[in-house]
Amino acid sequence: MRYVIVGNSAAAVGCITGIRKVDPDGEIVVISYEDRCYSKPMIADVLVDVPEEKLLYRDSSFFEKNGVETILGHKAVSINRKNKVVALDSNELVPYDKLLIATGGKPFVPPINGSDKKGVFTFTELHSAVSFKNYLKENGAEEVVVIGSGFIGLEVAYFLREIGIKVKVVELLDRVLARALDRRGSKIVENMMREKGVEFIFNDTIEEIMGDEKVSSVRLKSGSVLRADAVVVAIGVRPNTELAQTAGVEVNKGISVSDTMETSVPDIFAAGDCIECTDIVDGQKKPIPLFPLAFEQGFIAGLNMAGKKMEYLGGLVLNSLKFLPVPVLNAGVVEPVDDSCEVFVNDKFEKKGFYRKAIVRDGKLIGFIAIGEIDRTGILTNLIRQKIDVSNVKERLVELDFGLVDLPQWWREEKLKRDKTAYKDWRAV
Amino acid sequence: MSKKRKLMKVYPIEENCISCRYCEVACTMVHSESKDPVKAYKLENLLPRATVEVKEAVSLSLMCRHCKHPFCFDACISGAIMVDENGKVNLDEEKCVGCWNCVLVCPFGAAHPMIKEEKRHSFKCDLCGDRGFPACVEACPNRALIYDFER
Repeated sequence: MRYVIVGNSAAAVGCITGIRKVDPDGEIVVISYEDRCYSKPMIADVLVDVPEEKLLYRDSSFFEKNGVETILGHKAVSINRKNKVVALDSNELVPYDKLLIATGGKPFVPPINGSDKKGVFTFTELHSAVSFKNYLKENGAEEVVVIGSGFIGLEVAYFLREIGIKVKVVELLDRVLARALDRRGSKIVENMMREKGVEFIFNDTIEEIMGDEKVSSVRLKSGSVLRADAVVVAIGVRPNTELAQTAGVEVNKGISVSDTMETSVPDIFAAGDCIECTDIVDGQKKPIPLFPLAFEQGFIAGLNMAGKKMEYLGGLVLNSLKFLPVPVLNAGVVEPVDDSCEVFVNDKFEKKGFYRKAIVRDGKLIGFIAIGEIDRTGILTNLIRQKIDVSNVKERLVELDFGLVDLPQWWREEKLKRDKTAYKDWRAV
Repeated sequence: MSKKRKLMKVYPIEENCISCRYCEVACTMVHSESKDPVKAYKLENLLPRATVEVKEAVSLSLMCRHCKHPFCFDACISGAIMVDENGKVNLDEEKCVGCWNCVLVCPFGAAHPMIKEEKRHSFKCDLCGDRGFPACVEACPNRALIYDFER
């Protein structure tokens, strides 16, 4: 059996891990246009001079130990589903028996006049992060404008302050992390960012990027003009489905996959930021481009590619803001989705430095926020995942000492005594 | 995949737990520099990897279950969490960058955040590593923790 994986990040590593659980001997080939397996969520660290080797997610020993052949520095440009080969930009043809497409996401850049000028960057690859850092140094940049206040935009802004650069974040909506947090959570994060010296401009967006060859300023929709020695566009990522489309794979918002991570084309699987998955909470198919999900999907794809049938549990929004001194976590939904939802809040942020919020619907937890005190919140995440009835402990969900003693006794019996902790054991009850 | 693993881990027996928290103290002490319970808490800023939970008549001590499918391993962005050939889940605190993903996904709440000025990393039960036998099990006066083969 010959497995070919296009991509070399979380989903790819998950896939290798999954294949090797079942098939110790099959050939595995990894194709990536990048030169190493680094941690995508850590790339902003290069701004504060963390050495690049610290960003390695899996070193060469991982690939050696798992008998993986790597074709690095070459882009897979097309797939021939009939002959079962992947064509590279070097014209090399790589045959496969089972293929995983793990091409990830690509940064979304809206059409803005002047976005082709030098000094405009996105921030999803190590290469772009390093180029950005070098550009700042070479041009003695003092002021940067960041477009978008999502996780990437805020992290870049925060690290730019660490190295003494002035930052203005321009956000179309009226608050930071509007898609991940509630108003209270957004305010807490915004205040921490402002303390760090980051400035915000809300309800506005960029109309034009100005300058000659290089960017020098940006003009906003409101008319104001901001100095910008460089611009970072961090509005979001979209599934990268170009390669999949060359094989005629069904694509909606992302690559469409079955519960076993197989695409509409036999023997082609897909995982990670390039796919759409079923959200456990609302049952909707959507891209949820997050690291833990990419690994898990890749792992499940790997098991199935190697012949062990396993169904994916489904996607779940899981966010952690890792760069702030105060941790900020959320899972599932953070606002009531309809009138039947109950909301529980434990807000002691001013006095004791923590904020907890839980959303319950039909007796089940469907989402939470934890800021400041985050220990043991994984128990809550699992309550969402397993859809365990919490009707009689719902007020307790936002207490810091919420624990396994609040869960049904049968659950503890099953997990603690009988070790039911395999993948299939985490399905909804 | 279904082959039996040769892993020993710590099992809580809630019927026997009297919430004395000796396990927490023993855990913190053996993971300290000073090997002194008071200094470990006060000077070394250490926290236990076992958590004693109490609710009315029920109490138990809980630590990493070394899950057969560890979600923490899936979620770890730095490569600090690795699974060995027996299924033991190891967390390299030096390598950990404190992204808190493991805290967010552990169904048992057994991966904990260490958030101090000088250090930011996750930590969890390591089955006492080189010590050979888990200190919490030794310290438990009522056989509410046992060290046994995986079930």
